[in-house]
Amino acid sequence: MKEIVLKTEDLCVSYGQKKILKKINTLFEKNKITAIIGPSGCGKSTFLKSLNRTVEEYGGNMEGKIHLNNVNIMDMPLQNLRKSVGMVFQLPIVFPFSIYNNMIYAPKYFGEKKEKLNDIVIKNLKKTGLYDEVKDNLKMMATKLSGGQQQRLAIARCLTVNPEIILLDEPCSALDIKNTANIENMLLELKNEYTIIIVTHNLSQAKRIADNVIFMDEGQIIEEGNQNEMFDNPVNVRTKEYLMYMRN
Amino acid sequence: MKIKDIIFKSWIYISGIIVVVVTFGVFLYFLYKGIKVVTLEFILEAPGGMPLGTEGGVFPAIMGSLMSGLLSGLIGGLLGLCTSIYLVFYCNNKKNQKYMLHALQLLAGIPSVIIGLFGYTVLIVGLGLNKSLISVTLTLTVMIIPFIALRMKKALEETSKDQFICSLSLGIPKGYTIIHLVIPNALKYIMTSLGLGIVFAMGATAPIMFTGAVIIAGVPNKLTDPIMALPYHLYVLVNEGISIEMAYGTAFVLIVLVLLINLICHFIGNFEDV
Repeated sequence: MKEIVLKTEDLCVSYGQKKILKKINTLFEKNKITAIIGPSGCGKSTFLKSLNRTVEEYGGNMEGKIHLNNVNIMDMPLQNLRKSVGMVFQLPIVFPFSIYNNMIYAPKYFGEKKEKLNDIVIKNLKKTGLYDEVKDNLKMMATKLSGGQQQRLAIARCLTVNPEIILLDEPCSALDIKNTANIENMLLELKNEYTIIIVTHNLSQAKRIADNVIFMDEGQIIEEGNQNEMFDNPVNVRTKEYLMYMRN
Repeated sequence: MKIKDIIFKSWIYISGIIVVVVTFGVFLYFLYKGIKVVTLEFILEAPGGMPLGTEGGVFPAIMGSLMSGLLSGLIGGLLGLCTSIYLVFYCNNKKNQKYMLHALQLLAGIPSVIIGLFGYTVLIVGLGLNKSLISVTLTLTVMIIPFIALRMKKALEETSKDQFICSLSLGIPKGYTIIHLVIPNALKYIMTSLGLGIVFAMGATAPIMFTGAVIIAGVPNKLTDPIMALPYHLYVLVNEGISIEMAYGTAFVLIVLVLLINLICHFIGNFEDV
């Protein structure tokens, strides 16, 4: 029995007069990695950003419904929603503080007790495989880390608020092969605890890590299904054409 | 290398050299001309002699310029910062943002003498205030708000927009993000903009002539006292043909003050909390 954690119903997003997403209806399974693929400008990132209403910060207007554990996210306090649905961006975004202060930034705001902060830092850095690399330099400026380390720190920071779902917007697009492999392995570990939704241009990456795949084009979902079905036997002609184009 | 490239490269180097030479040239010229009259007495005494300004110093003018510059910098800096924060982080309506930006650019383009006339009409004639420190401060504030807001807006957009949204995506509200992340992150640029705003205010002559600067006054004890100011004192010394040497000394003091304020703002902005 599939356990559904997130569900969209007729989701439309527009920027001013321009409609980006047109009636998106889909489901996301708990503790699975869902990859969203599609050509540039098809609305993948907008879709991802609408799932925790970050799209509104960019001036986007949302219509339709998104249910998180059967609660419409438009009826949830924004803070609670974003705590439950964390987000990691395309370029590694670290705050201009030390590694330690990056990690306690959110827990401190949410009133975590001082004696608990150390545990939160260590636990989440370990989850992203970063702890052993930085344990002696936690007071070092986070901006001095390598790109791959910064992205893992961004993911670790996202975990500090105990999200249920993690949204990742092309998290490896600025990284080399080694760092990409690190992050992919980490995501495969993390899916035991979290539901992961990742936007990617890299079909091989989607094949390596995703359980389910959504193919989007022109603001609509063209086809979706489990990874094997989608990559080996796509039904829709547009999906077939896109996969063939990307493989060549 | 093509001849076009050589000409282009040469022009770039020549432009750089011109800027450096002119900057240091102006400073060294006034240092050379002003150093003859700039003594401890010149800095610490009030103007004296007959006609007034041929002897003594510029202490009340230094204090008047500092007080009006810092006060307008404080008020204008705060309003400018809030305006820029609103434009960058709160104003999602592109149309409103466009109108506000046009208004700021328009205000920034208004000649300072007209700002002075506006200050005189509203504060002195309209509200019945004296020619005073408060009138000067408010007039200068109007003049520097767009100057500061536009610079701070650019700085906030370049340094903090992505981090801001990243912080919101953690469930942190806007206010906390702005105070704990955006402002500390952009402090260097905020302080630089503030320093330039203060310096701009301290160097303005036209707006203060109408609203509060006088030929002779003591150090103001309260906001309603009239003030002496370095640029106006300089204007009077040259325009009335009182003493060109004292004018050079006054110009030297003004340049050093401007330099000091820029350095202090730069130092505060670069003070990092590691």
